Amino acid sequence: MADKTMPIFVPSEKPVKLAKWKVKQGALVLQGQTLFLYHDSSGEKDEVKKFKAARAGTISLIKVKEGDIAEPGAPVADLEECRHTTVMKEMCAECGADLRTDDGPKVDVAVVPMVHSIPELKVSEELAQKLGREDAERLLKDRKLVLLVDLDQTLVHTTNDNVAPNLKGVLHFFLRGPGSPGRWCHTRLRPRTQQFLESASKNYELHVCTFGARQYAHAVADLLDPDKKYFSHRILSRDECFDARTKSANLKALFPCGDNMVCIIDDREDVWRHASNLIHVRPYSFFQSTGDINAPPPIDEKLNLPSGKNGSSPANQMPTLDEEIEQKDIIEDKKKEQEKTKEGGNGKIVNKDSELKKAVEKDEESKESEPRWVETSDGQIEVEDPDDYLIYLEDILKRIHKHFYDLYDKMGKKQIPDLKAVIPEVKGKVLAGTSLVFSGLVPTHQRLETSRTYLVARSLGAEITQDFTQKTTHLVAVRAGTAKVHASRRFSEGKGNKLHVVTPDWLWTCAERWERVDERLYPLQRGGQSGSRRPPAHCSSPPPPAAPGPAAALRKRTPSGRFMDTIHPLLSFSSDDIADMDREVEDIFNEEESSSDDQKMGGDDLDDEENPPEDRLISLEAESSQDRLLQDSQDGEGNNDTDSEEQPRPRKRPRKSPPSDEEPPDDDDTSWNLMGAALERELLAQD
Amino acid sequence: MFYHISLEHEILLHPRYFGPQLLDTVKQKLYTEVEGTCTGKYGFVIAVTTIDSIGAGLIQPGQGFVVYPVKYKAIVFRPFKGEVLDAIVTQVNKVGMFAQIGPLSCFISHHSIPADMEYCPNVNPPCYKSKQEDNVIQEEDVIRLKIVGTRVDANGIFAIGTLMDDYLGLVTQ
Repeated sequence: MADKTMPIFVPSEKPVKLAKWKVKQGALVLQGQTLFLYHDSSGEKDEVKKFKAARAGTISLIKVKEGDIAEPGAPVADLEECRHTTVMKEMCAECGADLRTDDGPKVDVAVVPMVHSIPELKVSEELAQKLGREDAERLLKDRKLVLLVDLDQTLVHTTNDNVAPNLKGVLHFFLRGPGSPGRWCHTRLRPRTQQFLESASKNYELHVCTFGARQYAHAVADLLDPDKKYFSHRILSRDECFDARTKSANLKALFPCGDNMVCIIDDREDVWRHASNLIHVRPYSFFQSTGDINAPPPIDEKLNLPSGKNGSSPANQMPTLDEEIEQKDIIEDKKKEQEKTKEGGNGKIVNKDSELKKAVEKDEESKESEPRWVETSDGQIEVEDPDDYLIYLEDILKRIHKHFYDLYDKMGKKQIPDLKAVIPEVKGKVLAGTSLVFSGLVPTHQRLETSRTYLVARSLGAEITQDFTQKTTHLVAVRAGTAKVHASRRFSEGKGNKLHVVTPDWLWTCAERWERVDERLYPLQRGGQSGSRRPPAHCSSPPPPAAPGPAAALRKRTPSGRFMDTIHPLLSFSSDDIADMDREVEDIFNEEESSSDDQKMGGDDLDDEENPPEDRLISLEAESSQDRLLQDSQDGEGNNDTDSEEQPRPRKRPRKSPPSDEEPPDDDDTSWNLMGAALERELLAQD
Repeated sequence: MFYHISLEHEILLHPRYFGPQLLDTVKQKLYTEVEGTCTGKYGFVIAVTTIDSIGAGLIQPGQGFVVYPVKYKAIVFRPFKGEVLDAIVTQVNKVGMFAQIGPLSCFISHHSIPADMEYCPNVNPPCYKSKQEDNVIQEEDVIRLKIVGTRVDANGIFAIGTLMDDYLGLVTQ
């Protein structure tokens, strides 16, 4: 919009003498404000009159001095009209003009809502830039950075479920919603939150950035920071978010000069569109039945992201034999866990259902981070919460800050380093100089470079090779006994120096803490499988898009894919496949002896797991087919039935009666003919 | 500006209140329904002073509810452009500051704060400070401002203020 400058003319036909200016050059004047006094000699008497501004604006130039004579037709001063750069509720905050009733084409200059909690207050692009620059300069002067802090599952965990009122360390507050009766919220701060905020606020300007409603965000911020010394008014909630699914849309408005100095901590990567200045924290979970109560709707990754970057977490891949084995192991682990909870059921409050669901959600991870509940004598429930993540996060933030300002000092005063580059750089130092070989981590059909594990290790600065090289320092193996584990033994003997053989947990822990963890803590146990191949939540993208249906995946296992083969799959099985199946059946049989009860009890609660139907399907069907195999073996024709193992169909569907023995299995036509014949016989018999 | 004016209001009463205390109930209901509300025309109703008349109740056909037209006098607060008022600062940010004049919220843009006052975000709470540091405006302070514009909606009023005039700014007690 061009500057609207308009001259102010003398208000009479004759020259007038300017008595006194009431405003200075550059001053802001309002409509109706007195600009100057003048002697009006047009009337009978010489009287002093006031000249008032017809419009609001700025006096840009005064052309006639006090005491001078102003000629009619010559401008006295220039008035620059207000450009409405700051607008509050569609009202110019400078001149008070109502912009809502303006007719004509509406050109809003002010479009950027710069203040976190007041979306109605908008400023112009230009002013936003200026304010942003000022902010950046101030931050640099104070040697600070900006830290956007997520609340739910990052610093706090909140539930709306009923919880015991005597839990220690759980804060309760009531939110009264407009039009709704309100709800109780129970919030647990992550251990060490206060120390974390205290320490982070020395190096960072803290902003809250959450998907919780405004009321909730302010209530929690109040719990975290009752003196308002960390967050002040910098609280962005769902009510101010431009987009219900991502938070990154608001960055441009909050930081109009770019997000060079913005660092983000969040437990969700997707809401920031996988920004590189994000530190993906391990989600904090305390109330076992609740996830993130303010989680945004899941994003359809395929639409928003270039494929490949995200869709490659192994969990989403088609099952291979390896994975099935692994999943079986997970089930076993869960069972063990369940047994554990049964034994130590001392102060357990949470019912089995939610416990199990939780265990399913968190897989292995839950073992280390799940709080333990112990009732103390004074009626308070003391909760042992082993979560210590904030210690590491604090350290990570310190390192980033140091690295940023080291760079800044090196680059000279003019340039500002970009945290989007600095943060990956800091992260890349973690495992710099190491060279990893994976064993059993990446499914065979997947390319190493596209696996999530590879990406995690790369982001930490490690080098990954397919096979052993002279530089190899670590072997990350899911279980002992793979070819590579054996090779590593020979290799390290030959090479002389130490080759670390570690479980994937080592890698996940490094990724969580951003430091090279002592390898001795994660040795690969001989025999047992110790470590999850699947990346934990902070390494993978949380909402797995609907996993490919197990049915579809299984169907593919018949090489030809023909319908006929799915009916009689044994015909098209290689001997390897059949051997595999035998092994599977045996495994399950062995398993059953120890804990079949548990599995049956837990079976129906497992619905939430990412891929459970598939392995459940296999295990249960395999069980039953094993039984039937035994029966059928007496008839000498067991082959007919094993098809149920491969046939893609939901478990709950009632089982069809097995085909009768007379029917030859191999040909469709003959079977139809035989069936026709049988029908005929039956009809005849009736007669 | 405050006014003492006559207003009218209709009270809808449930039949369960019919009885000796009926008129008291009507009065009570008037206080709760009217005080603290805001209309665009008259502004904020601060307090009902007198109830002049309670008209004849009209029973609603088919419902049993009764409607009483009530005439009353009340003190109302209606802000006007150009009015000078004392306010309490509620929030200070880089774009300006928010202040509260009783029930009325008001925003003062950075441009409407004297140019020698600068925004200082590093102190807690943040404030506007003049260069000589003798003039500091922060949260909870009392300021005198002039209203330059009002946004009058059906159920609320919002004001824009300025400190750019003589005798405006921090009020020192």
